[in-house]
Amino acid sequence: MAAQPRPIHIEQANYLEGGGIVGWLTTIDHKRIAILYGMSALVFMMVGGIEAMFIRAQLIVPNNTLLSPTVYNEIFTMHGLTMIFLVLMPLETGFFGNFLIPLQIGARDVAFPRLNALSYWVFILGAITLNLGWVFGSAPDAGWFGYANLTSRYYSPGPNIDFFDIGLLILGVSSVMGALNFFVTIINMRAPGMTFMRMPMFIWAVLVTVILILLAFPALTVGLIFLFMDRYFGTNYYQVIAGATPILWQHLFWIFGHPEVYIMALPAFGMISEVIPVFSRKPLFGYPMMAYSLILIAFLSYGVWGHHMFATGMGPVADSAFAITSMLIAIPTGVKVFSWIATVWGGRLRFTTSMLFAMGFLIEFTIGGLSGIMHASAPIDLEQTDSYFIVAHFHYVLFGGVLMGILAAFYYYWPKITGRMLNETLGKWHFWITAWAYNATFFPMHFIGELGMPRRIYTYAPNMGFDFWNKFESINAFILGFAFLLFFINLAWSTTNGERASSDPWDARTLEWSIPSPPPIYNFAIAPAVNSRDAWWVMKYGNVESHGLDGTAAAPPPATAAEIASIHIPAPSLFPILIALGIFSMGIGMLIAWYRMILIGAALMAFCVLSMAFEYPRWGEEDEHAVSESFLGLDMRKVGIWSFIGSECVFFASLISTYMVYKARSQGPFDAQILSIPLTSFSTFILLMSSLLMVLALAGFQRNDRFWGTFWLFGTAFFGCIFLGGQVYEFGDFWLEHGMVFNTNLFSQCFYTLVGFHGFHVFIGVVWLITMAIAGALGKIDSKRALSVEICGLYWHFVDIVWVVIFTLVYLMRTIKQA
Amino acid sequence: MAPGKPILKITGMLGALVAAVLVLTGRANADRYPLDTLSPKSDLTREILWLFKEVTILDSIVLAVVVVALGLAIFVFSSRTGEPGAPSVKHSDMWLEMAWTIIPALILIAITVPTVRTIVHTQPDRWPQGALTVRVVAHQWWWEFQYPSLGVTTADEVHIPANRVVHFELVSEDVIHSFFMPAIGGKRDVVPGQVNQITLDADVPGEYWGQCTEFCGIEHADMRFRAFVDTPGDFDKWVAHQLEPPVKPDSGPAADGAKIFANAPCAICHTIKGVSGFSKEYNFGFRGPDLTHFGERTTMAGSIMDNTPENVAKWIENPDALKPGVKMPALGLSGPELSELVAYLESLK
Repeated sequence: MAAQPRPIHIEQANYLEGGGIVGWLTTIDHKRIAILYGMSALVFMMVGGIEAMFIRAQLIVPNNTLLSPTVYNEIFTMHGLTMIFLVLMPLETGFFGNFLIPLQIGARDVAFPRLNALSYWVFILGAITLNLGWVFGSAPDAGWFGYANLTSRYYSPGPNIDFFDIGLLILGVSSVMGALNFFVTIINMRAPGMTFMRMPMFIWAVLVTVILILLAFPALTVGLIFLFMDRYFGTNYYQVIAGATPILWQHLFWIFGHPEVYIMALPAFGMISEVIPVFSRKPLFGYPMMAYSLILIAFLSYGVWGHHMFATGMGPVADSAFAITSMLIAIPTGVKVFSWIATVWGGRLRFTTSMLFAMGFLIEFTIGGLSGIMHASAPIDLEQTDSYFIVAHFHYVLFGGVLMGILAAFYYYWPKITGRMLNETLGKWHFWITAWAYNATFFPMHFIGELGMPRRIYTYAPNMGFDFWNKFESINAFILGFAFLLFFINLAWSTTNGERASSDPWDARTLEWSIPSPPPIYNFAIAPAVNSRDAWWVMKYGNVESHGLDGTAAAPPPATAAEIASIHIPAPSLFPILIALGIFSMGIGMLIAWYRMILIGAALMAFCVLSMAFEYPRWGEEDEHAVSESFLGLDMRKVGIWSFIGSECVFFASLISTYMVYKARSQGPFDAQILSIPLTSFSTFILLMSSLLMVLALAGFQRNDRFWGTFWLFGTAFFGCIFLGGQVYEFGDFWLEHGMVFNTNLFSQCFYTLVGFHGFHVFIGVVWLITMAIAGALGKIDSKRALSVEICGLYWHFVDIVWVVIFTLVYLMRTIKQA
Repeated sequence: MAPGKPILKITGMLGALVAAVLVLTGRANADRYPLDTLSPKSDLTREILWLFKEVTILDSIVLAVVVVALGLAIFVFSSRTGEPGAPSVKHSDMWLEMAWTIIPALILIAITVPTVRTIVHTQPDRWPQGALTVRVVAHQWWWEFQYPSLGVTTADEVHIPANRVVHFELVSEDVIHSFFMPAIGGKRDVVPGQVNQITLDADVPGEYWGQCTEFCGIEHADMRFRAFVDTPGDFDKWVAHQLEPPVKPDSGPAADGAKIFANAPCAICHTIKGVSGFSKEYNFGFRGPDLTHFGERTTMAGSIMDNTPENVAKWIENPDALKPGVKMPALGLSGPELSELVAYLESLK
């Protein structure tokens, strides 16, 4: 059975009340976690905005001396990192995603509430790590995509890039955990009757987004690990001596980086797809094609990364291929824009602030997309890339596009989240001032880009054609900042003075509007029965095609006291914040190379993870009310482990690809000839046999044979230890007998990294197995709880299969260099 | 807000924007702006401009369609414009959806085909016999130019002959830079560990500006250069002059300056051929620009300022004040010694 929550007594009227500070620190309620994300992201929006104001203040006149180049380079780098990782992503997935997903699918919470809390605490500590550089006067300063080899220890000797490296690693962990959680939630926890084609479009968007996160972040993680190794252990992943190339960083980064921009864009598409139908009183046009377009965009986004590298000299074949795929991805995006317009067409339009921002989104995102088509043509890009034309493009898609979509969602969802309406007058001022100031700031960047102004320059010479427009942009950027001030004032004002919101102030279409504003802690008293798309609309008016202008909407029946009394929700937990502190401690320890801190952090993390795993259930006190399977019949933890495995596939694929490319370029005394096939064949055999033992263990528990189940679990762990012993012996032999250390050459570093990380996965597996075996020995596992063993088994088999791939590619297919 | 006002405001704003674009984009004065990317002076950049114009026209058509469709929808169906009646609830139309998939695809094919042709055409893997090879060496934060077949080395300014295929080989001494000459060459990154290429045939003699366009450290903004396209006759003269030994002043401040150069640490980083500092073994003389014919260059220090005695003096006195983070140290020279050294350097024509 899945971890069953302890039932708690529900006293609060809504999720915002009760608990005090400790309540917020230990919360696992998705709505509170969403608020934490949202508040953090808004603070960072102010930080990133101030950084932008400084950039514009420096560039207002040529040869300005307001900021030294050192400070300017830190500011533009942090502006990019902040806006992408600390504002857009947390607002879209952390804030809106967290709040809305369970509400829109008719669920009580996400699949793994404590993992959800953990994602937030890791996020905020990662955000602090990234910004810690400011405190030490060494903020990251090599641009948000920090190209090697400028980021090497030699060319960036200070800790700036270390804050970048460790900060992003921590943030990546948070993103992947959150993505896994949302993926399982959407797959498994939809209300009965909500098939995929009946889900709100925002859910579709987030579903595709989290798949992108799961399958893109590992490439960044690998890139950052290589950077860390170069900077701390003297390896040469990105240095040109010894045969390496800094272009490896670009490939790894952009294989992550291009899906990343869709990770930012797709949730905004989803938000727009919620707002426009409601304020047009029409269903979304072309729902199936909208869903398929999302999938196609996500799929294609993995094939276009080279368009960020058109100037690097990849050769005409690669340039052409990436140009073609980049053009292709415009087609599904165009379908979406036209479908939104067709949704508006023929509707009965209400121009609330939310709808105004949605209209703004349509125009601005289209402009951004069209300039993107220009860059997709590689020869044109050779004039435009790294100029202000690119700066214009991405600010149009990310600010005019994504951020306007987020603002539309803010004005739309604020009543649901806080129970208060935002002030519409102030909102309209916000919109119209933004509409002018935003275009006035960013449209001229197309002009100065065409006039040749490069990006990332702290100053420029006069009389190049840049003077007037830079001044114009800077003045309007300050006005834009003022518009945002209006927005923040509106948010603050509404929390005390805003008109109280009913459950459905907009006469909307989806399930979250069927419950009170703000929602009670348990969301839905009874799981809604869904029979169609736009489920709430149909409940109110009878069918999707109804325009809802006649007749009265059906009010949701209030929950009875008996129904509420029977609701069980998970209890708060202290472990997420402690685990996050452990991870943070490890990160800081790595940053300052203080090993004790790494060990303490790792110990805290390990202890808390184990404790959290056994926090509940009280074994033997199952709660029969808890739901662990969806109407698809899939256990949540199984879907969860499969998602994790998918993510790990990309992780290992990145490591293996690097190994394959670099072993051919390796110079120096050692190469694959040093590998001992007989020894490794033996340990491979042992590892494969361990999988057999795992199967036997699971079979044992499934037939309630606790003795043999436990026995085979210990056996599996034992075989895993033999394998690890073989690895230790092999590494020791290479190191002590042959003198091949970590950074001897490309072969050695890639070999140790790849095989070492795999060995680390085996080690974690052994710890997991022993934990399960002890639980089995204590009589805690029976046929009803055999799924826990199956989950462990899936992980173990995966690690096995990865080893088969490594053994084949690294050992059996090793190249023996001619003398 | 009253019914028509949002529509009028949107239309009015868009109209104003378009007018501003037409008047103020600087297209009329593009020739005055030395980094302009839309004033091609070579075969390579002309092909790029053709593509740019094509995409701009197609993009504008698409944008117009989107803006007009949305504007009309907003104008006609706003619920404040009288009583528009019940909304239509049509939410799919196969022909419409096919049309807005296929037509954009056709437009994109019209862009992609010439794109691929241009890519292949502008990245040849062989060059005609008479092509000139120029080796561009990028340093943090200045550009070095070598002519291997001619035996010339210079910095900050590159000269190439018009109407002759020039093949640039791009190498970096340190980090990734990007070699950007918008009028004649577009750009190509300069990546340590590999040799990138630009092949072009410039046909309009003149002075063109360039700049590094890949963030390369603290002084990325100040890593600029000049490209001179000379008539073939002028180019030969320039080459011949570069090959001449440097001026050796007999008397006056320049002669004293020569002695100062010989005795100061300058030679550790800078080469004046036949006079000082070349030892590849210890990298003497190759850390900074070659100064053999420094006096005749129009710009200096990464082409961030004109080559005048005042600027040279300010630079030598305190390079960091003019280019914070630069690797050249202040040598503690001032007063008469400084002016003599400046006189010597400016005499190196």
